[in-house]
Amino acid sequence: MKINFKTLLIIAILAVSLGACSSVAEEPTGDQINLILAAYTTPREAYGEIIPLFQAYWFEETGQQVIFEESYLGSGAQSRAVVEGFEADVIALSLEADVNRIQNAGLITHDWKTAKNNGIVTTSVVSLAVRESNPKGVSNWADLTQPGLEVLTPNPNTSGGAMWNVLAVYGAALRGQVDGVPGDDPDAAYDFLVQVLQNVSVMDKAARDSILNFEMGIGDLAITYENEILVGRQSGQTYERVIPSSTILIQNPVAVVDASVDEHGTREVAEAFVNFLFTPEAQAIFAKFGLRVVNEDVAAENEAEYPPVEDIFTVDYFGGWDAIMTDIFGEDGIYNQAIASAQGDAQ
Amino acid sequence: MNLALNQGGRETGVSKWFLRVPALLYVTLMILVPLIVIVEDGFREGLSGLVHQISVPIAQHAILLTLWTAALMTLINAIMGLATAYVLVRYEFPGKRLLNAIVDLPLAIPTLVTGVMLVMLYGPQSALGGFLSQKIELDIIFAPPGIVVALLFISFPFVVRSIQPVLMNLDLSQEDAAATLGAKPWYTFRTVVLPTLLPPLISGSLLSFSRAVGEFGAVVIVAGNIPLKTQTAAVYVLGAVESENRLGASAVSLLLLAIAIIILMVANKIQKSWGARHEN
Repeated sequence: MKINFKTLLIIAILAVSLGACSSVAEEPTGDQINLILAAYTTPREAYGEIIPLFQAYWFEETGQQVIFEESYLGSGAQSRAVVEGFEADVIALSLEADVNRIQNAGLITHDWKTAKNNGIVTTSVVSLAVRESNPKGVSNWADLTQPGLEVLTPNPNTSGGAMWNVLAVYGAALRGQVDGVPGDDPDAAYDFLVQVLQNVSVMDKAARDSILNFEMGIGDLAITYENEILVGRQSGQTYERVIPSSTILIQNPVAVVDASVDEHGTREVAEAFVNFLFTPEAQAIFAKFGLRVVNEDVAAENEAEYPPVEDIFTVDYFGGWDAIMTDIFGEDGIYNQAIASAQGDAQ
Repeated sequence: MNLALNQGGRETGVSKWFLRVPALLYVTLMILVPLIVIVEDGFREGLSGLVHQISVPIAQHAILLTLWTAALMTLINAIMGLATAYVLVRYEFPGKRLLNAIVDLPLAIPTLVTGVMLVMLYGPQSALGGFLSQKIELDIIFAPPGIVVALLFISFPFVVRSIQPVLMNLDLSQEDAAATLGAKPWYTFRTVVLPTLLPPLISGSLLSFSRAVGEFGAVVIVAGNIPLKTQTAAVYVLGAVESENRLGASAVSLLLLAIAIIILMVANKIQKSWGARHEN
């Protein structure tokens, strides 16, 4: 009797899912077009809500059904995948350097920075996740060097998010915004970075892994994207957000990949999709999922959630991504020297 | 092992070509060509370029950490694997079949999941991990012991499964004879059983060492991955690939590959000379 019921249940589930499949397969009648989106992992949930809106909009405009193929990977890995032959029509990545890689490979031939808002669709700020009611009393960068504090941040060799973190720490110190560190003194800023790195107890391979470890109870503090903290809190996590008084503005670019859209004949819909991401509807969805948005009206509506930062700087402060990739993350760059000396001292 | 293969292969003109050519072609395409590509890539800037990449302090530390944790694991695995195989073959007890089935389980679990399980069990936030960390100041997870534990888990079956069939086929009469002649059990084990088991024990151990040297999934979760401290070679290779240091990635991979090949050759050699000595 029991077995019969189970069997029935399984058959029922199979029938329903088969039915669902076939109805999906039958639905698109006539005109349809495929669009491949390659994105970094953070805005996955936001795209889950934006894409249906765009599909409806495009169907109304053109009568054409857009079938999306979505891929979510770490920003660097995604960018390399595209360079090595993953034919994405639209890329949405975590940092400009990853778009530049695709451009340097000759796959993006237009000047993507002349697009709306220089091609930056969302922003965020490097923030600190601390335990409920902030037991270690962390309110700014200087507190990160207190002895015994366990800090989580991912590895810059594998994570774009980690690069933002290093830039935030080093930049704030260089700008004289860290208590006890004189401004405009590269040596002092470097020493401060070393001190922070000495307190790092785990370097995960990506920002998401890092915050998941923090959620498991590891570490006193995680340096991470503000949106990771906000989304975590939305899903019931009790950690708190601390925004340092000086931090870097994370800028997430989107771009159309010329080589792919020309081959697929999808330029028109790809460009429309990129433009759609800047509409108030789409921007509101990004805001809902923890990202700071570039549309001023939407940003103003969400101001309570996203307080302004006292001293905010961008990658331009370091001379742009090309300079950063050599001076800071190059083989003999500041980061590699700092991590070596941090661990050398610790041993 | 070679002997068995030769006995099985009766060569007629047809099977000689129809089986050999596709098999060799397949091995060449699927295994040899990818290996050649990485060798070529590693030597892109000559031997000095390769040596330079390996001797970068961060790479060097990662390689050494990988080798010593794998070696320690292999030692533990050899002893405990031998004991487990012996118990499984020679004794009857309730739950024996279950234990026998459990031995293979590590091979079926995705190693990433293994890592997550170990963090839950030994992590600083678990009761056990917290106790060890506070009472005896032994950090397991995000420290080298975590790497050893993870490697033990994933490569446990190798030693057991190498020894088991040999032990099963072992003629009990020799042991009985030894016992009749008054030998103590331990003496019998040492002089009669162990010499026969040594070749599979060594090859199983070396196999598990090779497997451990390349392990990534579990280690990336439990190690902590801090350069010069808890970063293993496989995780270093990932970092090198991700930060456009292809030469560094290939160089370290090549070194690991060379170590694995040398170890397999040594294992083969030991097994052969041992086998020859005992057949006489």
